[in-house]
Amino acid sequence: MSLSESIENLLMSVQKPVRYMGGEFNAVMKDPGAVDVRYAFLFPDTYEVGMSHLGMKILYHAINARPDAWCERVFSPWVDMAGLMRRDGIPLFSLESRTPVKDFDLLGITLQYEMSFTNILEALDLAGIPLRREDRTEGPFVICGGPCAYNPEPLVPFVDLIALGDGEEETIQTIEVYKRWKESGLPRDEYLRMAAQIPGIYVPSLYDVEYNVDGTVKAVTPKPGSGAPAVVRKAMVKDLDAAAYPEKLIVPYGEIVHNRIMLEIFRGCTRGCRFCQAGMIYRPIRERSIPRLMDMAEKLVSSTGYDEISLMSLSSGDYSCLPELAHRMVERFAAKRVKISLPSQRIDTVLTDTLKETQKVRKTALTLAPEAGTQRLRDVINKGVTEADLIRSVTDAFDQGWSAVKLYFMLGLPTETDEDVLGIADLAEKVRRCYFSIPKERRAPGLRITVSASVFVPKNDTPFQWSPQLGFDEVVRRQQLLRQALSRLKGVDFKYHAPDVSYIEAVFARGDRRLGEALERAWRLGCRFDGWSDQFRYDLWLQAFRDVGLDPDFYVTRERSTDEVFPWDHLDCGVTKGYFLREWEKAQHAECTPDCRKGCTGCGMKRYPGACEGR
Amino acid sequence: MRALIRFGKQPRLRFISHLDLQRFFQRAVNRTGLPIAYSQGFNPHPVMSFGSALALGWTSEYEVIDIKLSAPMGRKRTEDAVRAALPEDLPVLEVRMVDDRHAAPMALVKMSDYRVTLEGEGASAVIAQIPAFLARERVEAVKKTKSGEKVINARTMVIGLEPTEVGFDARLMLTERESMKPDVLIELLADMAGVEPPRARIHRVALLGEDGEGNLRPLMEL
Repeated sequence: MSLSESIENLLMSVQKPVRYMGGEFNAVMKDPGAVDVRYAFLFPDTYEVGMSHLGMKILYHAINARPDAWCERVFSPWVDMAGLMRRDGIPLFSLESRTPVKDFDLLGITLQYEMSFTNILEALDLAGIPLRREDRTEGPFVICGGPCAYNPEPLVPFVDLIALGDGEEETIQTIEVYKRWKESGLPRDEYLRMAAQIPGIYVPSLYDVEYNVDGTVKAVTPKPGSGAPAVVRKAMVKDLDAAAYPEKLIVPYGEIVHNRIMLEIFRGCTRGCRFCQAGMIYRPIRERSIPRLMDMAEKLVSSTGYDEISLMSLSSGDYSCLPELAHRMVERFAAKRVKISLPSQRIDTVLTDTLKETQKVRKTALTLAPEAGTQRLRDVINKGVTEADLIRSVTDAFDQGWSAVKLYFMLGLPTETDEDVLGIADLAEKVRRCYFSIPKERRAPGLRITVSASVFVPKNDTPFQWSPQLGFDEVVRRQQLLRQALSRLKGVDFKYHAPDVSYIEAVFARGDRRLGEALERAWRLGCRFDGWSDQFRYDLWLQAFRDVGLDPDFYVTRERSTDEVFPWDHLDCGVTKGYFLREWEKAQHAECTPDCRKGCTGCGMKRYPGACEGR
Repeated sequence: MRALIRFGKQPRLRFISHLDLQRFFQRAVNRTGLPIAYSQGFNPHPVMSFGSALALGWTSEYEVIDIKLSAPMGRKRTEDAVRAALPEDLPVLEVRMVDDRHAAPMALVKMSDYRVTLEGEGASAVIAQIPAFLARERVEAVKKTKSGEKVINARTMVIGLEPTEVGFDARLMLTERESMKPDVLIELLADMAGVEPPRARIHRVALLGEDGEGNLRPLMEL
């Protein structure tokens, strides 16, 4: 029986067989005999989650634009499918051609969140690839990229290369260097040494880590003679208009999380919120031009048949000509019944005009993220918005016919007090009053305010990388304090979660190389799909740390001194440690740093020739 | 004007549910570039309907979709546009242009032909029961309805049934009031043979309706 037939036989018995089916419209098929490099791209979560990810679509397109390479998709099989695959001896396979992953040349894995790390080990094991790099003598090289790549140390035992920064060009370079290596006939390790010369590529096996007696890192240095750089600086695509972007998107059959056209209008963010890793690692800001965006939208609408375009970025309200863009999009596509939506709305931009435009086609819940309940704490985190901004935005929205507002906050931010926690309830009450201040005949019925409070996780490569995470019991107490305060407000829902996932996330965000042992142990104990609350096993994680003799509190609640060497200090995300430190110190005094569009704040990006041009 | 399109569902895509297929076609018709007619109302959608829902896991060479156009369009152009908008595992097999008064395919369907392939243990025992099944006047089956369970005579809904080397060919009733599904038929035959229902591959060969004189004809020819 062929592999494809064996897979078919399982599909009758699993939930959502569409996940493993392939054959979607616009999926790229090539003749395997006619390409030099076969690239498997693994998104280590389910099909529905992975198919909603823009980065994967961009790289799939960029690789497949080359006649000499074929990129195919791989997703984590859900636990039912994984069980059946093990029972029947079916290896992890690609969706397009149903080829075993171990037969590919390169295996790219995107690291979107720490809680997908066990899925990577599960995928390697299902593929029949030895987990540890040093045990592999054949099979694909494993390359990890994405936001978590800026501190990949816990994954180091399992991967060959780490790709830092924008993937459009560096992914292609890993393929070109692979071809050169294959032609050369040199031993396996030689590919790693060659790849270490690509800008943005970090080859962890070429570095030694020394520790201090207290367990902190003393130094990470390239092995003598390896030719690897002392510091690896991320790759950056300067001109987004010229960068690869798909003209066709795969259109799935089943429903996925974001089933629509995603148009990345710019990359990077100039705000400088101190908790936000994305706001740091995706710098500098690079906008796509309106003509390029209109052209992309036009092609994607006709090649996919989608009836919705989402204008994507970290902070779409900051696009320099958003009203014009929204207006032209609405005008161009209204006749085709294509809706335009704007996610991650900010509360301090001039919303009203844009709201009017998008409302013509669609009315979704207005999502705002004040993040903290008092002005003092918003200044600490450098969320440059005021209560007046928020009130103006929601009043405008209610006046335009919105009736649903989602408010996002974090609990456990540095310097937070009970006053800040109760400030969240106070804000919710003020938003409520805004709604009732609109005359009844003008406002839409059915006010719904949702307050979501997540637990703050200090991340590497942010000004808060020195901050301890708030202790478990204290998080629970503050959650209950807020819950009680909000329960008095009619029409307000409160959403929060147990802090256990955030705790494990915090371990890995600022973890070191030794954590690879704990990760492997946790996977062997049965941890996988840790981002799914029905699969997450906190007890097994704690057991894993005990088994390998590591104290998770060392990574989570420990106060770090300002001269500590971090496990990721040899990886340069573009923003300097000196900038983070200045920002950390300003945070202690609730001192704001303005948006860098209003003047350079010296984050370090200007070390890239041509970055931040015209600013 | 409306386009009646017959298409196939190949094995690879047999796990697309009917609901997902409907959503898929909403986007597929947008890709055709044809002048598609939209419904009125707050949330307009393309005006289209299916001949009959195909169960999850079955394949077909006789799925029919009826798409309303807002302007006249040639048959060949329509066919090319629809073919370009569908993946190779949903092949376009036949296109016919009809005017707006033509009855909806769903209302015309009376019966469906299936080819059933049985695999593994019990397959031959099930096939061997076919003559006995045909010889009976009444074969009771329990049908779940909205108001509970109902005992029906399955025999009268089996219009044709012929054994093949690997399974059987069946012509079964398919109307709103009377319908028989091939998997239920397999269960009845297995029950008569005293075996567990074997694994089956079910393939729809044709949808049939009646012309003005009461003669059975393939749906696309009515």
